[in-house]
Amino acid sequence: MSGGSIIIFVLKIFAALVIAIFGIVLGLFCKGIDRKLAAMMQSRVGPPIRQPFLDFFKLMIKENIVPDNAVPWIFNGAPILALVSTISILFYIPFGPIPALLGNSGDLILIAYLLAIPAIALVAGGFSSGSTYASIGAQREMVLMMSYELPLVTIIITLGWRLNLAYPGLKVFSLAALSANPIWGLVGPLGFIGALLLLFTLVIVTPAELSIVPFDIPEAETELAGGVLVEYSGRNLALFQLTNAVKMVVMAALTVALFFPYNIAPLFSLSGALASVIDTLFFFVKLIVVIFFEATFIRVAVARLKIDQASVVYLIFLSAIGLLGLLFIAMDYII
Amino acid sequence: MSKSTAYKVPIGPIHPSLEEPMTFNFEIAGERIQSVDLAPGDNHRGIEFMGRNRNIVQIIYLAERICGICSASHPFAFCRAVENAAGIEVPPRAEYIRVIIAELERIHSHILWAGVAAHELGFDSVLYLSWKVREEVMDLLEIITGNRVNYGMFMIGGVRRDITEQQIPRIRKTIEYYKDVYQKLEDVFLDDPSIAVRTKNVGVLTYEDALRLASVGPTTRASGVKKDVRQDQPYSAYADLDIKAITPDIHTGEVNGDVYDRIIVRVLEVLQSVQIVEYCLNHLPEGEILSEPKIAKLLANLKKAKGEGVGRHEAPRGEVIHYVKLNELENPEVWKARAPTYNNLMSWVPMLQNQEVADIPIVIASIDPCIGCMDRVTLTDSETYKQQVLTREELRQLSIEKTRRMLK
Amino acid sequence: MNKMRRSGDNNMEYYNPEGLLSYLKENLPESILDSRIDSKKAGVKQEEFHNIWIEVKREKFRDTVKLLMNLQYPHIAIIAGNDTGQSIDLIYLFSIFYGEKFKEISLNVKVSLDRENPSIRSISDLIPGAQTTEREIKEMLGVEFVGLPDMHNIFLPYDFPKDIFPLRKGQKGLDELVQQESEGDKN
Repeated sequence: MSGGSIIIFVLKIFAALVIAIFGIVLGLFCKGIDRKLAAMMQSRVGPPIRQPFLDFFKLMIKENIVPDNAVPWIFNGAPILALVSTISILFYIPFGPIPALLGNSGDLILIAYLLAIPAIALVAGGFSSGSTYASIGAQREMVLMMSYELPLVTIIITLGWRLNLAYPGLKVFSLAALSANPIWGLVGPLGFIGALLLLFTLVIVTPAELSIVPFDIPEAETELAGGVLVEYSGRNLALFQLTNAVKMVVMAALTVALFFPYNIAPLFSLSGALASVIDTLFFFVKLIVVIFFEATFIRVAVARLKIDQASVVYLIFLSAIGLLGLLFIAMDYII
Repeated sequence: MSKSTAYKVPIGPIHPSLEEPMTFNFEIAGERIQSVDLAPGDNHRGIEFMGRNRNIVQIIYLAERICGICSASHPFAFCRAVENAAGIEVPPRAEYIRVIIAELERIHSHILWAGVAAHELGFDSVLYLSWKVREEVMDLLEIITGNRVNYGMFMIGGVRRDITEQQIPRIRKTIEYYKDVYQKLEDVFLDDPSIAVRTKNVGVLTYEDALRLASVGPTTRASGVKKDVRQDQPYSAYADLDIKAITPDIHTGEVNGDVYDRIIVRVLEVLQSVQIVEYCLNHLPEGEILSEPKIAKLLANLKKAKGEGVGRHEAPRGEVIHYVKLNELENPEVWKARAPTYNNLMSWVPMLQNQEVADIPIVIASIDPCIGCMDRVTLTDSETYKQQVLTREELRQLSIEKTRRMLK
Repeated sequence: MNKMRRSGDNNMEYYNPEGLLSYLKENLPESILDSRIDSKKAGVKQEEFHNIWIEVKREKFRDTVKLLMNLQYPHIAIIAGNDTGQSIDLIYLFSIFYGEKFKEISLNVKVSLDRENPSIRSISDLIPGAQTTEREIKEMLGVEFVGLPDMHNIFLPYDFPKDIFPLRKGQKGLDELVQQESEGDKN
């Protein structure tokens, strides 16, 4: 290994650390905003925006209890696995004008796999914690995961396929390519409707990924007292909460990258460092707007569904909507 | 999941979906409930036992504290039982004031329940909004009685506080407020698709089961049984009103006996209560509010009384019934109090049978259980009990030892 | 379950209290030991509502309930128990003819049981809703309900001594339990 590549390697590790910390802070911050907005919509005061940070620090100093009949290495490993896989998604997602750290080596399909890992970790952690509540929660998490994967994959396939038709030479599943050529510009009016349907699908899949109402079925506080997380405490619970916060950023960033990659700087014909700063700020505004619609608004507006109802929603209705989107885009191309 | 074996899931004594301690032992296969065993008794205070050593007026205070939410219903029923037993006439003005308090209590209880039910469904926005709406009536109750709960209004032969001229505009303001807000309440609970999808055909109690299991209140009315003490055997000011038991077919034209129907009944009853309060306020008679204002004299009279009486009242959750037997003694010979949840307890079994785990909280909440009301009879200490649990003394000893260790 | 009519049905026969009492007396000759109609007035309009108090022989109690079931499915509110010292009295609080204004009659049926060996046929097979209250009376007063399935304690702890009945008068064991607890407090 030459000197230069070592320096690049060290720099990359350093950048990864920065991104991880930044992602966590951003995630907790977004959670705080989400809680504040929800409180305002429910006509109450709500916690301060820094509350998720306080929660996190408090959990970190609390005792970490492993139940007697749990399998310790799975039980303790699951939260770490979940957090690591979620943070690693951040390396593949461009933050506005800032390109993804590992943009060249990973694509949307990898992200789809990485998104599944926290859910699998949660299932493993739930089953290993040796509580009936957690077992029921883990079963539900599995069912839910199997239900929302299909619509999610439909979106990815459609976008990649359409891009491939337009620019056959590109690496079509790379996020950079997808962001550079947003779907809206590639299609006609019929395809536009199709793209809208796909966006809708993604918005509805997000609450399940983040396990918030109406799809917080695996945790369902009033039914299962926390479900998969019922036995988790202290550091492990803090890690799961971090996972969730980071995942919120990931899902929002993904939505932005796929559907709203536009920048604001060209409008004001800015360039150079100033443009990057403005675009980055604009990216965060987009992020929070997306979080508001994907998470806050939905969870304030509806009641929790049952697992069979949620399954039907995803496997039948949402898949149908996703496929309809695909159909529209296909028809748009053929016509 | 056809081959999965049933496993046991306990809900309670303490669980987020229960507002009060009570144990349900479920046997569950997959997501389906196969059987349920109810084990109440975690909340025993031995109130009837305590009542043996208290005179009638002291028991009013006990009755009031059977439950915080029905804190007008139990004293209402108890006072009526004593009045029936001793033949005491209540002045008309007191009867009207009693009914106003009881109906205001119903409004707050039903809205409180609506919020809890929404929370059980994971619909917290509705919880916050409905409890905000409830504050109006709580404030009014505080203005009239001086307390948000445990109103201290009821006395044998009348009420302890009058409704003054100055309070009447304030009560009218509340009536107008609820008339305004009622439409919103109906929209949120009866027309919201996500509430409907979780509550329709869930926790069904058939007409026959409602009769067989002797269920009471909105639980039985939602199954189509037109049973309401205010209608069947009117008392106090209810006798002057034309009250019809509210069944869900008034709203939808059909009776399913599910959780949704129970929501309908309660929501419609809020409006009914508002109308009753308005009527009572418009027709409030003049006159005394107590048949015997001197408590010492009242107690002396009661000491001479002999006889037995039943007092019934339609509480927000259903019929409250108190039985009192007086036998020329300082204390009543028998005092039996029964809260509505006591009778509705058994209706959980058919409701929960074959439901999903996710339905447990809303089905349990749908009868508006009041465990504190129901568990009221016993002593909790027993010899064998002590062997399992550390006694107070042992705990104190441990605590002292620990303090000493830390001081060293 | 022969008369599970919809309440408020037009074809339902409503009895007035005298009618109900004579119906019971006709069908249960010499089993009604005592009877009394207690009518009270309510409201400004002074309309009447009625309580009927009857005492029936222990052996005939079940028949009384069956008779009521021919009229309308009776609603059982609760059983009030009373340990008088000589006997254990159970007062079954029924209500019947519900569904319409002022038609309902409260029927309070008293049954007197032998204090040494209190036992009565269970009615929880006729009215399943009576199960809870029968179980409570069984725990609190030690009345044996013949035909009631043997289930765990409903209000008392599962391991409560089987020979102590808290609501019986002069219950020794109970006092001792309380005594022990209060002595524990003093130390």
